Formats: sequence, C-alpha cells, structure tokens
Amino acid sequence: MRILCRESRPWLNSFISVLAGAAILFLSAGTDGVKHGAVELVNGILSYPEKPVLYLRNIIKLSGNWVLERDNLNERVEKLELKNLALEEALQRAGVKSPASKGGYLRAVVTLRYPQEWWQELRIDKGAQEGVREGAAVASEGFLVGRVTRVSAHSSWVELITSSSFLIAAAVDQTRDLGVAAGDGRGHLRLLYIPEERNVRRGMSVSTSLMSDVIPPGLAIGTIIGIDEEKEGYKEMRLSAGAHLTQLYNVDVFMPSSGGAQR
Amino acid sequence: MILLSLIWLLQDFAQLLLMGICMIPDVFLLTILFIALLPEKSKEEQSKLVWIAFFGGLLWDLRWTNLPGLTSAISGGVIGLACFIWQKLPAIGRTPFAFMAVSAFCELVYALGHYFFWTIPSQSALRQFIVQQLIAVPVIIIFAWLFGRASERNG
Repeated sequence: MRILCRESRPWLNSFISVLAGAAILFLSAGTDGVKHGAVELVNGILSYPEKPVLYLRNIIKLSGNWVLERDNLNERVEKLELKNLALEEALQRAGVKSPASKGGYLRAVVTLRYPQEWWQELRIDKGAQEGVREGAAVASEGFLVGRVTRVSAHSSWVELITSSSFLIAAAVDQTRDLGVAAGDGRGHLRLLYIPEERNVRRGMSVSTSLMSDVIPPGLAIGTIIGIDEEKEGYKEMRLSAGAHLTQLYNVDVFMPSSGGAQR
Repeated sequence: MILLSLIWLLQDFAQLLLMGICMIPDVFLLTILFIALLPEKSKEEQSKLVWIAFFGGLLWDLRWTNLPGLTSAISGGVIGLACFIWQKLPAIGRTPFAFMAVSAFCELVYALGHYFFWTIPSQSALRQFIVQQLIAVPVIIIFAWLFGRASERNG
C-alpha cells in the first residue's frame, strides 16, 4: 500500500479500492462463516466503547415513554393483581397448592437490527454470561417477539416472530384450539392448521402453548385479524402481533428456573 | 489519524443513538474529503486518505451494513473521484462553494449507493434517505466554512 501511495495517483488508488471493495463484497457473499466471524469480532470490540451510548439511548427512550407507559402499566398491574387474587382463591377452594415460579425475565437492549433483515432478526446486549439460553423466548411489553437463536458471551441474536423460518405452537385463548404461528419474512404473522369446523373468530387472542422449558406457555402473541380461505380442511388466519415490532428498543428474555431441564 | 479514528467513533455513536430514527450522514467521509482537498495536500497524502476511507468504510460495513466491501468501495471511489475533479479545476475556482458542491456530490453518491444496494426500497427508506441528506446540509456548510478559512490561511 505504501508503494501504491508513493508511486500512484489518487484516482488509481481509488480505482483499486473500488475493485478491492467489490471483491470483498463478492467473496463475503460466499463465505458466510468468515463474514459472520469478522462482524462478530468488530461488534465485540466496539461493544465496549458503545456501552455508555447504549445506556444513554436507553435512558432517553425510557424517559420519553415513561409518562405514557406509566398509566397503562398501573392499569395492567391492577387488573393482573385482581386476576391473580381470584385465581389463588379458586386454587385454595379446590385444595390445590400454588405452583412454584417457573422463571423470570431479563431486560436486554436491542443493539443491532439490519434493514435487509428487518423482519428476520436482531441482536441484544445480553449473552451466555448473563444466563441467556438458546431457544429462550423473547418478549416485549408482555408479548412474544421472537426467540434466541445464537448466543455469544455478551450478546445474542433473536429470530423475530415475523421471520420466514419462525414456527411456534400456539393456542387460541378463547377456544383452546392449537395451531402453529408462523412469520412470512415481510412483517406479517399467520396462524396455521386450525380445523375448518372450529368456531374461531376475528378478535380472539393467541398465545404460546406448552412446548419447552425455555418458552413459557400462555405468553401472548397477538390477535386474529382475518380468516383466509380454507385449504385442505384447515383455516389459515392472519394475526396482528401484540408487540410493537417496529419500535423494539428493549426486550425481555425468558430465563427459565435453574431446576428446569432444557429440551 | 487519531482525529479520523475519533470521528469514526463519534459517527458510530451518533448512529447508535439515532438507530431506528434516521441514518446519519457520513461525517467521517466528509472529514477525509476536507483533509484531501486542502491546498497543501500532496498526491501521496491523498492516496493515503483514499485507503483510510476504504478501511473506515470496511469497519462501517462490519458494524452496520453486514455487506463488507460496499461502504469501503463507495468511500474509496468517492474520495479518488473528488480528488480527480478537484485537480481538474483551475486554482482560482477552488472556492468554498466549489468545495461545497463536491462535498454534496460525494455525500449524495454515498447515500444513493447505500439506498440502492443496502436498504430495501420503500417509503420509509426514502424518508430516511431524505432526512439523511437534510442533516448533511449543515455539516457540509460547516466543512465549507472551515475550508474557506484554511484556504485564506494558505493565501
């Protein structure tokens, strides 16, 4: 490079740099592993100086939303407390012991979301060191937004529910019909495999059904907003995601209790 | 070099703060352009700046675009092109206004390159592109003012 700088003109260096850039672009398309390694390395190094900025962004965002969210959250907490009380009373009347806690959530900040993979995946600032496990459910404001697919020491990648490869067992809350919630890679969600004779209607809510220790059952996914044509005896439904998928700044990663075995 | 590294980092921090809101203009590229077009810069120094722009762009790609080579090729190409145009201009015509025009052209080429090769063309991407260009206007004006002062100092 020193020889190039000394002997050549800027336009020639520029031409070579364009060719080099195009070659890197071309080669990186065929070597996903190397590209991914380089991306992870650069992101890993930059994560240290970026930490204060991330927290600053988080504070700005949180303080902006705080006033708006506070009333809404208070209302929800009140409703949930009443519901919880009623359930505990019902359990006591039936002579059933209260179940032990199945785990909690870990708050994480979204650190990267590529435009070309907007509906596919995003990266968060929590990883294996913080206890994040592969396959764990990721939620926002109490609604499922995806699951962890790759875990590094201090960061993880989350596959969004709108990803074309995302499939998850789901249940219609009002009828307990089981189906599969799937994304299409374009920001839309569908509920598949509901038998045509079932009385499932628009406005009904859909949540996760029991499938593994890292995805809790009953986690809200969204609402049915439309029912498409029946195919081979099954209905296909359009879902509206409950979470604001275009405004994901913070998410909650499900942390199963340590006693639960990972499946 | 330290100054350019700091500017790259500041640009990264600014993009992190505005992630999801808008794309920020490439201040790192505009700074290199400013340094490359200063009157006392030799061709050797300009060539070195082309490669600094290339590696800065490569880092940007690895951090933000996930398309290694895209920003580096655009950055290296744009700096070389700007130096070529600048050399073809007569010395009397190398005014802050001419600098402003070259900077605006470079910023536009950079943003268009990203718009067509990186983002998925949509109404929201177009809005982000326009916002990026609007933010670039005061930045370019500041650089042109600095360029005018530096030219005056050099007589």
